Amino acid sequence: MSVLLAAVVGGLFAIGTFLLHRRDLVKVVLGVAVLTQGANVYLITMGGIEQGTSDTVPVLATHGDHVPETADPLVQALVLTAIVISFGTTALALALTYRAYQENETMDVHQWR
Amino acid sequence: MTEQIVIGPMLAAMASVVLTLSTRRFRRLQRAVSVAGGVAYAGAVGALVWRVVLGAGPAAYQVGGVEAPFGITLVADELSAFMLVLAAAVGLPSIAFSAVYVDPDNQAVFYHPLFHCLLLGVAGSFLTGDLFSLFVWFEVMLMASYVFVAFYGGEQHTAAALRYLVLNVVGGTLLLLGIGGLYAVTGTLNMADMARRLATPAAYGIDVEPVLGLSMLLFAAFALKAGLVPFQFWVPGAYRAAPLPVVAMLAGVTKKVGVYAVVRLYFTVFGGLSVEVDALGVTGDSPLALLGPILLVTGCASILVGGLGAVVRDTFEETFAYSSIGQVGFIVVPVGVAALADTEPLRRFAVAAALVYALHHALAKGLLFLVTGAVRSATGTGRLADVGGLAGRSPVLGATFFVGSLSLVGIPPLTGFFGKFLVFDAAVRRAAAGGSVGAVGVVVALLFGAVLTILYTSRTWTRCFWGARTPLVEDAVVDPAQVAILVAVATAIVVLGIGFDPVFEFADAAAGAAIDREGYVEVVDPVGGVEE
Repeated sequence: MSVLLAAVVGGLFAIGTFLLHRRDLVKVVLGVAVLTQGANVYLITMGGIEQGTSDTVPVLATHGDHVPETADPLVQALVLTAIVISFGTTALALALTYRAYQENETMDVHQWR
Repeated sequence: MTEQIVIGPMLAAMASVVLTLSTRRFRRLQRAVSVAGGVAYAGAVGALVWRVVLGAGPAAYQVGGVEAPFGITLVADELSAFMLVLAAAVGLPSIAFSAVYVDPDNQAVFYHPLFHCLLLGVAGSFLTGDLFSLFVWFEVMLMASYVFVAFYGGEQHTAAALRYLVLNVVGGTLLLLGIGGLYAVTGTLNMADMARRLATPAAYGIDVEPVLGLSMLLFAAFALKAGLVPFQFWVPGAYRAAPLPVVAMLAGVTKKVGVYAVVRLYFTVFGGLSVEVDALGVTGDSPLALLGPILLVTGCASILVGGLGAVVRDTFEETFAYSSIGQVGFIVVPVGVAALADTEPLRRFAVAAALVYALHHALAKGLLFLVTGAVRSATGTGRLADVGGLAGRSPVLGATFFVGSLSLVGIPPLTGFFGKFLVFDAAVRRAAAGGSVGAVGVVVALLFGAVLTILYTSRTWTRCFWGARTPLVEDAVVDPAQVAILVAVATAIVVLGIGFDPVFEFADAAAGAAIDREGYVEVVDPVGGVEE
């Protein structure tokens, strides 16, 4: 599981960094979104994914005797916060992108005056 | 039980956000509420200082009554109190200046709520005792500043805001990576608990090697926020775009949040960690051994890049933006000296020097950006070539600029003199103790930076305040309310310089708190975390 997540994190960071270096502004904003999602997956990975017990996942105790592998609840709370922040930032970036398009009539950052 | 006083500044800022939003239809009332909010913020900070420095000592507030290390902790020690005083000293004049400077239509809807949001984020960053909350408060502060950079809505402003936003998101991502990694390694996010665990890693089964790399990741994020070379490139664009009272806040306070975070994390949290360092040609036994040379090199580079940049710019805003890149160098060089110091007194002295310089720079650069605002609203331009003979047109305005630039240069008895003196003293003590080429090079770079400061301030002064009056200056109408605020800040610089002793004692106590790891842990979490 950890190897898979590490690969996902690496892939997200690679894609995000690649998009950040594009000339098209929308792709840059997408790069920001992908990069922050990469950080969120990384946070989940860092909390560790372990065999759960009914202490850490109380809900599942009453739903059959099998408790699956679960992520650390603390990092899940952290990731929720980080998702909200990155959503807000991405929305603001998109609004600014639209504004930049209105003013420059191009999405190409190289043609900005 | 007076721990609740810790949240005072944050409550004042949050109440101001709500009140200025709800009074937005009544513009005069909104402005009055906003300035009153600034006064309340300063008052809350004053009460905190009274409690922490003069009274019962550092305080910790456990949010929601959930005890550390599980809950979120807010901690006010001498270091936090010092930084909050700095924030209030720039925030209050800036908000008052905004009320008379920014176009009333522009102020109406979101200017004042956002300004208090900025203050809220700053207070949160200084008070939090939890690494993840530090990230959240950074984002609160940055969100407000993104909107301010885009405030005027022209094409340059939008472009500057987008660059600023994308860079800071990358910085925020680095911060998250560092925080997540530290959580995985130490199993806690509470800074006091982390400090305790890192001091005795074997007892908690902590692998210490990764902490070094993670601490460097955090340093990169904070250096970006502080605008240190090589992360300085966003500074001129953002400072050119934002409204000038906000720029006073950005240069005076939010940059220092990055410096504060470096001091707090490296000296308090990672201070007790012993790990073998062998990277970049540096060997040592703690993260500080690696931080020191990096800070000295980036600090000296900032001083040179900022100083040389400021000398050739042709507007007020850009001159002072480059100048603040250089001045941040003057703040981090003593931090670097402290990191490399081998004795406790020298370390404490160097941190105190950095703090005094940070306070001096916040006041002086805040004043200079506000003077730029007053010049801009009087003449309609910030171009040095279009302004001349201002001192004859408005002697008081000229005098405030004179005080600000003299303080920046470091003329006694202004606060800037003591700031520069202490920084040089720390660097020279290091050079005298070690005597290596690098230590002497740092002193030379500081000297060169000081000369560059004299060059660009005297250049601005002779061009714009002396000389023949240009037509724009001849027709200029200087707003007396703006000048009154400038005079108040200039007076504070002079008064703090003349009565410097208490300022140094406060900074010394703050430096003591920064390096007193056990004291910090004791305040936050006297019982101790639950053993694994």
